[in-house]
Amino acid sequence: MEKKKPHKAIAILWPSFMVAVVATGIFFSTFDPVEIYHISGDGFELSGLGHYTIGFFSFWLLGAVNGFLALYFLKPCE
Amino acid sequence: MDKKLKKGKSQELESEVYKKHTKVYPREVHGLFARLRVTGVVTLLGIYYLIPWFTWGDRQAVLFDLPARKFYIFDWVFWPQDFIYLALLLAIAAFALFFFTAIAGRLWCGYACPQTVWTEAFLWIERKVEGSRQQQIKRDKAPWTSDKIKVKATKHSLWVLFSLITGFVFVGYFTPIRELAAGIVTFQLGVWEWFWLFFYGFATYGNAGWMREQVCMYMCPYARFQSAMFDKDTLVVAYDKERGEPRGGRKRTIDPAEKGLGSCVDCNLCVQVCPTGIDIRNGLQYECIGCAACIDVCNDVMDKMGYEPNLVRYTTEHRDDGHETHILRPRIVVYAVLLLVITGSIFFKIATRIPLELDVIRDRNALYRETPEGLVANIYTLKVINMDEERHSYRLRVDGLEGLTHALDGKVLEVKSGEVLDVTEDVVVDPINLKKTSSEIIFTLESIENPELVSEQKSRFLGPLIR
Ligand code: SF4
Ligand code: SF4
Repeated sequence: MEKKKPHKAIAILWPSFMVAVVATGIFFSTFDPVEIYHISGDGFELSGLGHYTIGFFSFWLLGAVNGFLALYFLKPCE
Repeated sequence: MDKKLKKGKSQELESEVYKKHTKVYPREVHGLFARLRVTGVVTLLGIYYLIPWFTWGDRQAVLFDLPARKFYIFDWVFWPQDFIYLALLLAIAAFALFFFTAIAGRLWCGYACPQTVWTEAFLWIERKVEGSRQQQIKRDKAPWTSDKIKVKATKHSLWVLFSLITGFVFVGYFTPIRELAAGIVTFQLGVWEWFWLFFYGFATYGNAGWMREQVCMYMCPYARFQSAMFDKDTLVVAYDKERGEPRGGRKRTIDPAEKGLGSCVDCNLCVQVCPTGIDIRNGLQYECIGCAACIDVCNDVMDKMGYEPNLVRYTTEHRDDGHETHILRPRIVVYAVLLLVITGSIFFKIATRIPLELDVIRDRNALYRETPEGLVANIYTLKVINMDEERHSYRLRVDGLEGLTHALDGKVLEVKSGEVLDVTEDVVVDPINLKKTSSEIIFTLESIENPELVSEQKSRFLGPLIR
């Protein structure tokens, strides 16, 4: 499993990026971030693209964590 | 032992897949397919950079207005509720890609993929600054001199500038581009706009300037699964082995047959022009993006030698084996039918779309309320979205329970085009009419001007526990 570091990074970041794009589309077409903000009543009030940007990067991060763990558990245990 | 063997094999595989990257210096090429690609590049980049500047009526023609949650595409306005259209559009794009891939191979890769298109533009800048392939290789090998630094700095500055413009236009699809331009000049852009401008710009610079063919080889999902759509009748770029071998250098004047040579003069030009750095003479390879640069350059060579063209050419495996090529085959028919069905259904859906949406949300604070008269009341928040181009007046009906009365009965709800109206609705019922604790009620909203504009929503009416 010893791949070079950059390739591992690509193998984690790139698929999670694509999944994040899809997830962001589905999530925000169902929920209006402004409404979520009003319901939860706290958090930051963000301008314009802010909610969407944070949403997208959160999905990306989640996917990347998942990918990282998958690669990690693929490693044979010593 | 077994394990060791396996490990050896997988290591071999990995070193094959992730072999050390050496920079590819594609040589400039002229010819029919190069002209086609330049046409494609100029058209597609033109579309990308110009579209946001068009206006349609009093708004930007194409604008994905996220804060307002509306997508404008010329005459159409899409709402989040229209997500299904987006999904269908993506399905159409996917099947169109399958269809064209099965017929004509990696046409998409060679002429239309953004990766190819932007790489091509970056290569053009690189050649303008750094000169031909030979000059580039020589300069890269040479030690750093002030001249080399100057040339490299110029190239990267131009790349960065081009990338930033690309990032700016990208943001211009989401924020009105004229305001954006003004905001840049006066340095008053929102932080998120700045962020995306740099993020997208950086991605362009990295992908088209540095990663290039590696994106196709390691990152592109399409490159991985396109072979599943290939069969023996798919158009591919291939070298005519029969005719070309045995290859070898020779003088223009000699007759190759006499020397026992094939048509390939072993000039290596086909390898030099290849953007992915492979040798097409080794047969079909998954790295080949079907750009046909090798066809163009080899035809040039054949012309200079006075030989017939098309030693490297578009062909199909069947034709190469001396069989006939079938255009109409089951796979093509299936893709075509699916494509037609999905395209048909999206047009049907758009044609029969009702530009009115009603959302009913039960009040979250109280399950129900008892009025002083002993009746049961439920409160709802209604959201009326008029997605039509005109203003409308609507009337609301509520059915489902005997003897119910509601506050909006007989009232007219006026909603302007593209507006959302929030109203509170109070539904009241005598508890003797409640058979269950939770009953279904139906809200029906109808336009007074156009009775075809109707939207129905179900919700629940809650009452006291019934034993
Ligand atoms: S360009 Fe044509 S002649 Fe030259 S090496 Fe390639 S196949 Fe042979
Ligand atoms: S082998 Fe030919 S068609 Fe394939 S990528 Fe290289 S130059 Fe393009």
